[in-house]
Amino acid sequence: MPFVIFVTMFLILPTMNIIVGAFQTSDGSFTLQNIIDLQNGTIPSSYWISVKISVASAALGCLIGFAMAAAVVFGAVPAWVKSPLMTFSGVASNFAGVPLAFAFLATFGPVGLVTLFLRNNFGIVLQRDLGFNILSFWGLTVTYLFFQIPLMILIIAPALEGLKKEWREAAEVLGATAFQYWRMVAFPILFPSLLGTFALLFANAFGAVATAIALTGSSLNIVPIQLYAQIRGDVLGNPHLGYAMAFGMIVVTAVANVIYIWLRIRAERWLK
Amino acid sequence: MSIWARIAGWAALIFGLLYFFVPLGGLFEFSMKARRGVYSFDAYASVFSDPQFQQTFGYSVIMALVTIVIGILIVVPTAYWVRLKMPWARPYVEFLTLMPLVIPAIVIVFGYIRLYNTSSWLPLTGSVMGTNVLLAFGYTILALPYMYRAVDTGLRTVDVATLTEAAQSLGAGWATILGRVILPNVIPAVLSGAFLTFAIVIGEFTLAALLDRPAFGPYLQRVGANKAYEPFALSVIAFGITWGCLALIQLVSRFSKSAPRKA
Amino acid sequence: MSFLTLTSIQKSFGPVQVVKDFNMDIEKGEFVSFLGPSGCGKTTILRMIAGFETPTGGNIEIGGKSQQNLKPNQRNIGMVFQAYALFPNMNVADNVAFGLKIAGMPKAQIDARVKEMLGLIHLGHLADRFPYQMSGGQQQRVALARALAPKPQVLLLDEPLSALDAKIRVSLREEIRMIQQQLGITTVFVTHDQEEALSISDRIVVMNAGRADQIGTPFEIYNKPATRFVASFVGTLNLIEAKVVDPASNRISIGDQGITLREPLGSVKAGDTVSLALRPEAGSIAEGAKGDTALTGEVVSSNFLGSVIRTRMKVGNAVISFDMFNAPGLTPPAVGETVTLRFTASDLLIIRE
Repeated sequence: MPFVIFVTMFLILPTMNIIVGAFQTSDGSFTLQNIIDLQNGTIPSSYWISVKISVASAALGCLIGFAMAAAVVFGAVPAWVKSPLMTFSGVASNFAGVPLAFAFLATFGPVGLVTLFLRNNFGIVLQRDLGFNILSFWGLTVTYLFFQIPLMILIIAPALEGLKKEWREAAEVLGATAFQYWRMVAFPILFPSLLGTFALLFANAFGAVATAIALTGSSLNIVPIQLYAQIRGDVLGNPHLGYAMAFGMIVVTAVANVIYIWLRIRAERWLK
Repeated sequence: MSIWARIAGWAALIFGLLYFFVPLGGLFEFSMKARRGVYSFDAYASVFSDPQFQQTFGYSVIMALVTIVIGILIVVPTAYWVRLKMPWARPYVEFLTLMPLVIPAIVIVFGYIRLYNTSSWLPLTGSVMGTNVLLAFGYTILALPYMYRAVDTGLRTVDVATLTEAAQSLGAGWATILGRVILPNVIPAVLSGAFLTFAIVIGEFTLAALLDRPAFGPYLQRVGANKAYEPFALSVIAFGITWGCLALIQLVSRFSKSAPRKA
Repeated sequence: MSFLTLTSIQKSFGPVQVVKDFNMDIEKGEFVSFLGPSGCGKTTILRMIAGFETPTGGNIEIGGKSQQNLKPNQRNIGMVFQAYALFPNMNVADNVAFGLKIAGMPKAQIDARVKEMLGLIHLGHLADRFPYQMSGGQQQRVALARALAPKPQVLLLDEPLSALDAKIRVSLREEIRMIQQQLGITTVFVTHDQEEALSISDRIVVMNAGRADQIGTPFEIYNKPATRFVASFVGTLNLIEAKVVDPASNRISIGDQGITLREPLGSVKAGDTVSLALRPEAGSIAEGAKGDTALTGEVVSSNFLGSVIRTRMKVGNAVISFDMFNAPGLTPPAVGETVTLRFTASDLLIIRE
């Protein structure tokens, strides 16, 4: 079957090759040294920054996306808002990459729209007064949020819609306040979906390469950027250490995705 | 719904909308500031007259079209065959098609470089043509999750087994069935998958940059490092293309929804 | 002194008036069914009693206390929903315990009460199950236990059986009635199924377009329908157009056959048309059947329905159905045969609305 051959050749084998390479010395024998060497130099700190950015953008994305989805699903805003918002989210959640980086540079960069607006009207200089720099941890986080929030809305809105009106009414008639309903019923029901979506958003941010490179060049030392540099010029001085780094990326995103899928199955079982 | 809930709802929505539209506005505004003091389309003029823009953009469009063709050739028969003859394999195939979402693109291309380099058994990166082919295959892999899901959803709405049996009883062969019976029935789904693929490939950076091909994404990044306003104009163009494609998907899916559907 | 009093209840959604001037007194421990087609306002009234909807006008009192300014969570009402509405994140025991926990009951008492309630619905062995692991009938019994656990003043049942299979529907409705009588709890039951309402209620309210057409015992509703709507909605009924021959002596005619009614015709004149109702089971064509009145007609169809055979005969322009019980050796009347149906004149009801 051509599909299997194709996927094997251009997805499975290359990935396996990297994974195997991570456990090999340059003459081909088995070793754990590459994995151990991940603790050296700038690698741990780049993983750490990557994880921090991914966690921050996933957490904020969950929070803001949840608030927006809730506003639409629970009718705090008019019903016609919903359809355009969902369409828009479907589009924006696919939107990572170089143009996105430029959009944020044009907005929050040294001469960006918001930067100038704040300076000219309020005398606030982003970098000096708020410590904000688009080429930094927070800058990247804020940029990632552009696709993280819509992704959250897209995934969590159906879960919120799955909360049956009768559950709230049943709780109410049994004496529960709105807060008790949320604490004892709605939140526990949503919890797997929330946590699962968080994991997905985390993986999504962790694997984003193009936005980071276009935005910060090589000034921010995150894993994808370092790996990019390694592929272009073996900056680590050991090809197999590069494989180990790529392997580390796969492990992180795979774990996050497994958590996502597992929690999603749990959530769907309840909402049946 | 209490008044506080309403206020909170509006606040969340407005915050979110600002978040989406201010950067887009900022991008557009900035791209027109090439001439001091007034808004102008100078940056766009400069971009359009750049031969490199024309080359890289043309290259990416061709790559996108090639990717779409490869994607259709691989995905449609597979999805059809799995639905018809091997329903047990569906979870596995679905799992495979979702893998590109799990494995970062940079890792996949890293594997390509190692596996298909000049000294390997299949030295695709040894020649320009070979690298182009490899890039197209890579794009197909990246687009696989979207393409497969779109086509599979499309197939769900037509009765594959009955259509196949009807065509067979009229004497059609497999190629005829796929090309003249199944494909026309899933055209809306294939189209939406194709537009999404187009949008992804046009702006793609990682694969093209690491395989060293003259595509639009790396060009955009290179220009960004060297010029002041042009990259912003290019980004507006890239945004426009992407959103245009995604708007077309909406249009196609709405169109296919309004078409009468058999149970 | 009634326990649950509904006085001049009205409810409008925008320009649509769903409930129009509804009045009802329900006694303590009574089982009352609201019966009517969908959109007649029965569920809206139930939801107003629960506090989910605010009446546009009128007053609701429970135990002499106006409920006007009480939120649903202050009313101490038990409610069972059509779609079960069990909390999917809790097992059976936790679902039943929910209202008790909210009320702040000590743990030991909660456990005892939950055990008692699960015993009542015979599901003590499933206390650790989650809702998705149970059948619809089991879930609805748990929902009933959950509603009853905090000892509510009133139990509201919103079409609780509609989502269930036919067999379970019958057994569960009997179970609901038994538990209701055992606990003596005042219950309002909403349904569109007349058989359900007839079989378990103390009284039935037949609702039509936001009003109560008739309030009465199942017996009264079935045998003395007050309106054409009630007559046609509850049970099968022949509606026969008859001509008034002589109002003074209650003489009417169906086709060309004259009949004397027991019920006074009231203010009509000779030549007017009146509507009469006759239950299919009220008459018999058997030899020597009792009855002071007879109609003769030609058989147009005869359908075997299992325990009964339903035959339709033509009398003048009217088609009248009648049932006879199936029995070994019985020959159903053949199409085209002429038969005589005998019944008591008092079974022929005049439908005035």
